[in-house]
Amino acid sequence: MSNTVVGESIVIDGEITGDDDLVVQGTVKGKIHLNQNLFVEASGVIEAEIATQSVDVSGQITGNITAADKVELKSKCRMTGDIKAPRILIADGASFKGSVDMDVD
Amino acid sequence: MAETASASTIIGPTIKVEGKLQGEEDLVVLGRVEGSISLTKTLIVDEPGVVKAEISVAHMVVNGVVVGNTTASDSVQIAETGRVVGDIKAPRVIIVEGARFRGAVDMGELEAPRPSASLPERGVTHSISTRTANVPAALPAHRATYAPETVRPATTPRPSAPASAVRSETPVAVQGKIHKKVVVKKKH
Repeated sequence: MSNTVVGESIVIDGEITGDDDLVVQGTVKGKIHLNQNLFVEASGVIEAEIATQSVDVSGQITGNITAADKVELKSKCRMTGDIKAPRILIADGASFKGSVDMDVD
Repeated sequence: MAETASASTIIGPTIKVEGKLQGEEDLVVLGRVEGSISLTKTLIVDEPGVVKAEISVAHMVVNGVVVGNTTASDSVQIAETGRVVGDIKAPRVIIVEGARFRGAVDMGELEAPRPSASLPERGVTHSISTRTANVPAALPAHRATYAPETVRPATTPRPSAPASAVRSETPVAVQGKIHKKVVVKKKH
């Protein structure tokens, strides 16, 4: 059960930190630091530096991602920025511009 | 809980948001938000939520903690477990038993008809009308500002008959004076 949802019409400009899963359907600009998972749904737009356990992207992200576990770019997502994570999955149909670093210690 | 389920945006208990948050839907805060919140709908701060922000919303319901000034276009309700420190500006402000609040309340134009005339007002009128009963001729100008409220207790039955008889005469005269004053001001 995901506890935190940022709805479609919501715009957050700043920093989000915490230990819950975060589902973004709206817009977040700034920073996202979580010990759990970030889900960016199709309507979600993120312009932020992201550090989480995992990121699941169906929407749009501009910014660098550092994930402790996994980053999954799903079909139809748009991602611009560098990704650093031990597991990175890019689905057919995803658009991605940036560098990938799987060498996380 | 029903409110929580229907809202689409939820800030969970361990989440902290720092910065500006704006939107056009309900927001439930169980975690922490610092900065500013601007919504066209309802902000619900549920336990254990803490909001330290300048708030501008349509409705606000506080079960948790709010620190900061709030402007609501409709209502602010501080529920039993709610704690608010800061000024509230809203046409309807509801503070229930058990709620804690420190700050100023501005309900805007008090002359306008309001849906619920409640207990605190009657308390105020009581102290004022006692003063007028004791000194009927004194300070007419001062009482004039309170006249719309002094009229009200005449409709509510009071235990002491002679006191109410005195009061029912004076406020009517006072109210007449006010109306004159208001008209003069508007002409300028």
